[in-house]
Amino acid sequence: MTVQRTPLWLAVCAFAICTALAHTQSKVDVRLPQKDKSVRFAVIGDSGTGERDQYQVAKEMEAYRKAANFNFVIMLGDNIYGGHEPRDFARKFEIPYAPLLDAGVKFYASLGNHDDPKLEPLYKPFNMNGERYYTFKKDFVQFFALDSDYMDAPQLSWLEQTLRSSRAQWKICFFHHPLYNEGKMHGPDLDLRNQLLPLLKTYGVNVVFSGHEHAYERLKPVDNIYYFVQGDSGKLERHDFHHSNELAASFDRARTFLLVEVAGDTLYFQTISESGETVDSGALPRAAAAVKAAPSAQ
Amino acid sequence: MHGFLICALALMAALSLAQTSGGSNPARVVAEFEQRAKQYLDWRETTVGKAPYPTNSPGKIVAARQELANKVRVSRAGAKQGEVFTPEIANYFRREITATFNGRYGKRIRSSLKNSEPSEIHLEINQSYPEKVALQSTPPTLLLNLPELPKGLEYRIVGRELVLRDSDANIIVDYIQNALPETK
Repeated sequence: MTVQRTPLWLAVCAFAICTALAHTQSKVDVRLPQKDKSVRFAVIGDSGTGERDQYQVAKEMEAYRKAANFNFVIMLGDNIYGGHEPRDFARKFEIPYAPLLDAGVKFYASLGNHDDPKLEPLYKPFNMNGERYYTFKKDFVQFFALDSDYMDAPQLSWLEQTLRSSRAQWKICFFHHPLYNEGKMHGPDLDLRNQLLPLLKTYGVNVVFSGHEHAYERLKPVDNIYYFVQGDSGKLERHDFHHSNELAASFDRARTFLLVEVAGDTLYFQTISESGETVDSGALPRAAAAVKAAPSAQ
Repeated sequence: MHGFLICALALMAALSLAQTSGGSNPARVVAEFEQRAKQYLDWRETTVGKAPYPTNSPGKIVAARQELANKVRVSRAGAKQGEVFTPEIANYFRREITATFNGRYGKRIRSSLKNSEPSEIHLEINQSYPEKVALQSTPPTLLLNLPELPKGLEYRIVGRELVLRDSDANIIVDYIQNALPETK
């Protein structure tokens, strides 16, 4: 991946951040089984700040890539905060993730409210092919990237058609606004849930990843669908969660990213903080009836 | 007697329809709006240009959009508010939006709007939507109750205003003031 026309001052700043972070790497502790023929990926949300903490998360991701060997990343929106000049794409994406991009890791973006819904789909490294919403397959797992900022009739009808025709063993949706969310900053998007949930249930979606709330949450499955909220790979709000029985795990003391491995009928996950600490991990069966997730770190 | 009852019911239905549509035919108003939106997009695509193709270079994407926006501004220099959302169309939208907000899912829509990081910007026809200001997400139920737009145009909410945005050029094509009911 070639970083195009990155100004010298920007490269110097990035180098300074990377140098400062060089001594902060933690011990890598992969808890995924790394089975043969499994699908392995990382998840980041609300990442594109261009600040030191995003670089720290990116650095941990690269350390874990070497050990867990994932080859793609899904992005849950707010990929580029603020301006969308070329320097922003460099500072908030190309430079922090350069080691991953150089290693051939592909990024699949979905759009958040801070993203530019026209510019970002045209940016090839986001693999959106010019579209606000799209699907792609990795072996037996099909992914559906949605634009939850603008869930109009054409998108809903495309989703229904695409889900209906999918023969994938696992169906994973990812989009910015969470349908279920126990964080106090935003809460769930009830209107979005009202429109999306019937489709997700009818066509057997297994897992939903969302961002927007700047914390990590794993919710108890609802109607056999697992929900993760991960909006803290760049931004972080140290706020309280609602005291609720719906939360299986939550964490808001540091930024995180997720590692996921889908193997047969099981999804393994590991949530890792910017300091390399595993804050949540477990295994979820495809039918959500019996959850065997590890206890929460909270 | 039966004939009289049928006539009376038909008259009441017609009066009720006229009341809810403010006296104009909703289907005709929607058709006129769709035609105006299509006309704008056809004009922009044929006279000014289309969105660029995907590329690795953000510089090329940004430059192409700026060029598109500049050409729209020059070619449409005299454009005024109300050219797409005529007063009749704007009134239709206000009624539809109010009905949606007062309807079955109104509470959910208000809750979604509240959680979507609302922003206030100064609206001006032909100006770009400010790059650094987050676009407020638009509640799906509201979108489903508004006339569908061709690809390249979209609705956006800014405060209580409903904006028609050229998403390829990031240009404010038109907007309706006080399109959304006041917050309860």
